[in-house]
Amino acid sequence: MEIFSTLWSSLILDPMINSLMWIYSGLGENFGLAIIVFTILVRLLTYPLTASQIKSTKNMQELQKSKKWQDIQKKYKGDREKLAQEQMNLYKEMGVSPFGSCLPTLIQFPIIIGLYQAVIRALAVTPIQLLELTRHIYPFYAAALLIPLNNLFLWMDLSQPEKDFSTLPDIAGFEIPILALLVVATTFLQSRLMTPPSTTGDQGANMGRAMNLYMPLFMGYLAYTFPSGLALYFVTSNVVGILQYGVMGRLDWRNLIPSRFTSDTKKD
Amino acid sequence: MNRKQYIFILLFIGIAVMLSACAGAANTATSWPGLTVDDQFAYVAYNTQVYAVDLSNGKEVWRFPDEPDNSVTFFADPELTDDGQLIVGGYDFNLYSLEPDTGNDIWVFSGAENRYIGAALSDDGSIFAPDADENLYSLDSDGRLQWTFTSEGESWAQPVTDDECSCLFLSSMDHTVYAIDPQDGKQKWQTEELGGAVVGTPAFNNDGIIYVGTFGGRLFAIDAGDGSTINEFATKDNAWIWSGPTLADGVLYFGDLKGNFYAVDAETLTQKWIREPEQDDEEIIGSPLVIDDHVFFTNNFGDLYKYSTEGVEIDVVNVDPRDGNGKIYTGPKSSNGLIIVAAIQVDELLVAYGPDLTKKWDFIPAE
Repeated sequence: MEIFSTLWSSLILDPMINSLMWIYSGLGENFGLAIIVFTILVRLLTYPLTASQIKSTKNMQELQKSKKWQDIQKKYKGDREKLAQEQMNLYKEMGVSPFGSCLPTLIQFPIIIGLYQAVIRALAVTPIQLLELTRHIYPFYAAALLIPLNNLFLWMDLSQPEKDFSTLPDIAGFEIPILALLVVATTFLQSRLMTPPSTTGDQGANMGRAMNLYMPLFMGYLAYTFPSGLALYFVTSNVVGILQYGVMGRLDWRNLIPSRFTSDTKKD
Repeated sequence: MNRKQYIFILLFIGIAVMLSACAGAANTATSWPGLTVDDQFAYVAYNTQVYAVDLSNGKEVWRFPDEPDNSVTFFADPELTDDGQLIVGGYDFNLYSLEPDTGNDIWVFSGAENRYIGAALSDDGSIFAPDADENLYSLDSDGRLQWTFTSEGESWAQPVTDDECSCLFLSSMDHTVYAIDPQDGKQKWQTEELGGAVVGTPAFNNDGIIYVGTFGGRLFAIDAGDGSTINEFATKDNAWIWSGPTLADGVLYFGDLKGNFYAVDAETLTQKWIREPEQDDEEIIGSPLVIDDHVFFTNNFGDLYKYSTEGVEIDVVNVDPRDGNGKIYTGPKSSNGLIIVAAIQVDELLVAYGPDLTKKWDFIPAE
């Protein structure tokens, strides 16, 4: 376990924390900008993985729409073992890897978690956190001049959750958690725009709809209750993700239109 | 809702738990115990409680609050006032005044907007409480606000006073030290940028010099009259200094975050001796304790060292000899012939040793 922790620190966490602080120092000691730039850089560096994932997902979706796939679903409906075997054969025949869309995600997962931890750790606000941060800083650059980091960005204290902000914009007596709402909106947009339209009754589509509903709310909750630096990372990451999909021509704007409306239109 | 949707919801909950755990590791409001002693009790503030412990036997006398509340935690050293109050700041942004004998609360000051990390100072009927909201609050003995001084950074250390010049010295995370008039809270001077955060409490001598260590790996001697730098001492490899130095008989004692421990001549800031770390990753956080010809200091491996003031190691004892998991970040304190340390990551919150480092008692808070 200790080896894993050491490896995690050496290979993921320390480089990220130090890069983040280096960017911070180069951007006039603005931690908000540092999070944004750092997130963009990480998303650009992992772009090949994202592209590979998109391609694999598309291949998989096309396969699942094919007649052959539909036929074996019907044919082996009552025999799960045989169905799985036939699906594997079809994967091989069509040259599609069933794990093609999972592997890039799995590889990105430690990077995302590392990025998340780097942001949280760099925002050290208590003695234990600051002490922990000092252990991750490379000795060869003058980090002492930077610490503590300036946590203020626009109206936000990046080290505090938005729920603890003393001032939030007020509309008709209600305080509006802008950052949490931005996270909900961008997560919703991202998930909707990236999900291809599916046929009604399809289990995958049901899961996708559930995901599109729960995920933005879940992320919004995290954004509201965790340090707002993390929420800024979520928003940036979502926007960059949408842009990356857009650049690849994969955004599906039809998904923004309610499905009942699209089905009515189709009937007409 | 079908089975796969349930699986999705469970997956979300799993991710939430995982992210919470990650954040918890990095973001939970934690620190190490704050410790103060008088001739009867040790007062230790740690996590959800403040405890008073009888120095004669290590038994708990009282705890505050009676029932723990996770939203109210304490880590700053408690401060005893001349008129019989125990002042302790909380991570709930409140400053509490308690009766030292009973733990009953006397008043609460709720004017701060962030955590109390450094200890308050009681002097001449006033209470000076530094807060992480970058303010130093001056209160009268009834907890009424007298004035507020705003610096450019958080202060995590107890201020010190110099009655002769009527000055209050405040070290700050903004890499400077301030001198403030304790009567009205007006700034007298601010030092130049010292190259790193000043986390520890300054040491002060009667010749009008204050001493502070910085994250820049320097110990500065600063003129208490105008804040100018008189002299400076560089640590080995510019290791960061967390604790404030302890001044005794013209010698400054302090440790750094690479586990070096120094004795430095206060007049010339030249090194008298250095004790180098015995283990990798050793850190010395707490201010040392000097008693007669001996200096006691602790490290993050749970060791309490006893050195002669000439730099000879006399003894060492570990707070967790069985498992070696204990850590000590709080400086040792002394009363009634006992050396008392406050530890974390071990059952014993307090351990009392005799001057020869034989264990006298320990205090394990009851659940």
